[in-house]
Amino acid sequence: MINPRAAFIIRRERRWRLASFIAILALSFILILAIKGMLASCVLAFVIAYLFAPVVDFLERRGLPRGTATMIPFMVGAIGVGVGLAIVLPLVMDQLRVLAQRLPQYQADLSALLASIETNYRIYLNAGQLNLTHELNLWIATKTSTISVALPAFVSQSFTVLLLAPFFAFFMLQDGNAIARSLLSFVPNHMFEITLNLRHQINDQLGGFIRARFFEAAIVGAVVWIGLQVLGFPYATVLALFAAATNLIPYIGPIIGAVPAVLIALVSQETSVDTSPTVTLLFVTSVYFVAQLIDILFVIPLVVAKIVDLHPVTVVVMIIAGAEVAGILGMMISVPVASACKLTFNALYSHLTSFRD
Amino acid sequence: MNFIWDNIFRRAADQTIQSVLRENLLFRDLTDSELRFLERCVHVRHYHAGESVFRQGEVGVGMYLVVKGRIEIYVLDPTATSDESREIYITQLLSNDFFGELSLVEENGRRSATAVAREETTLIGFFKPDLMEILARRPAMGTRVTLRLAEVLGRRLKETTDKVSELRRVLKDLRAPPSQDAT
Repeated sequence: MINPRAAFIIRRERRWRLASFIAILALSFILILAIKGMLASCVLAFVIAYLFAPVVDFLERRGLPRGTATMIPFMVGAIGVGVGLAIVLPLVMDQLRVLAQRLPQYQADLSALLASIETNYRIYLNAGQLNLTHELNLWIATKTSTISVALPAFVSQSFTVLLLAPFFAFFMLQDGNAIARSLLSFVPNHMFEITLNLRHQINDQLGGFIRARFFEAAIVGAVVWIGLQVLGFPYATVLALFAAATNLIPYIGPIIGAVPAVLIALVSQETSVDTSPTVTLLFVTSVYFVAQLIDILFVIPLVVAKIVDLHPVTVVVMIIAGAEVAGILGMMISVPVASACKLTFNALYSHLTSFRD
Repeated sequence: MNFIWDNIFRRAADQTIQSVLRENLLFRDLTDSELRFLERCVHVRHYHAGESVFRQGEVGVGMYLVVKGRIEIYVLDPTATSDESREIYITQLLSNDFFGELSLVEENGRRSATAVAREETTLIGFFKPDLMEILARRPAMGTRVTLRLAEVLGRRLKETTDKVSELRRVLKDLRAPPSQDAT
């Protein structure tokens, strides 16, 4: 039997250690939320670190020191981004310029389309109270004004994030384990094993999740680009990049990604294939449908199987909550965060109930 | 609160940790550079007298090496009626001994005994995530450690088999009818 004085010392140290550990985590979290742009920088840094980690480990296995192994993917990445921008950026800028020139025409066409819908379906719509054309023009005007006000701040913040994120990611890969070990040293003895294992599991699953989602987005983007190019549809590169980016948002992302192409197909007839508006719309929708079909039938079963099993309703609720808290970034990170929470809860529950078997 | 200031005496402590790792059967085949890498993977933990390292039935994820101090191992007696007689003393472990290595290869395996520090004790924790990290970053080193681990587990299995065989023999002798000569 342990004497009361020793038991008191052990309990006191456990409390101090746990309080220190929670305080460090809470302080880091508060700092990340309080400093402008820090949340986005950290999320992007985690994404870069998780994407590069297998490459760094591979190079280390080949005998390179960790520092050099970490440096190489960053250098190759920087060159790749530079070359990619040199090739893709002019193309994207050209397409955006054309899009900007034609936007008033698209707006007018869309207004006309809505007006014809209103006329044809007046019997179903309460036309006295609802004016779709007016609502659309008002919405576009409001959004355009909001974007023009927010754009300078967004560009400046993006620049900070793009500078900070690779810097953080480099140190996460280089010293991440040492930092985690220092933090874990504050965990009380009786919780140490479970915390270490939890960190390992979360790390493993988040890494798999992020890599799988990016691979998925790249495949969807490539299929959309090829499909739109074959159709001779305008703005194929911009639309493919948009589809790839929105595909990172589970469930509703693919729908958001298809909206601009469907709207352009509705109001524009610029495909190389000579077809009626309905057929063009059908072709464009088919391209996005095929991209999703390839994703669902091949990419998800083969690659994304590592994703933590969450109920679809939970996923949708988390996406809505994420959007409320942190906008598009919140929508993208809500599912990995929910997965980490579920994993943590399961592990703690299993630990707390382990003596009741 | 001395855990906050642990790093002040790191050099002296590290020499002991290095020597304990070097002398352990699991890490005997490692080179100096691999031992330095291993040192960055393991976790040094301090325990007060009376503090449990783990309890029987808890999920375990790794093994411990004793740097200094004394650890006692107990198992719970399911037939015991009072709390005092519930724990059956098994053995004590001293400097350079190790325990809990079965958890390195088990999936959500539970501890088969309770380990308690009986004096101020320093342990090195080597856990499954650490072994996985070594295998991912230095596969050759990880393979050598895993082979040694298999050897240790094999030896433990052989010892257990011998012990079971011996107990069966004793049980058989006890059950056998008394010989005619004895009457």
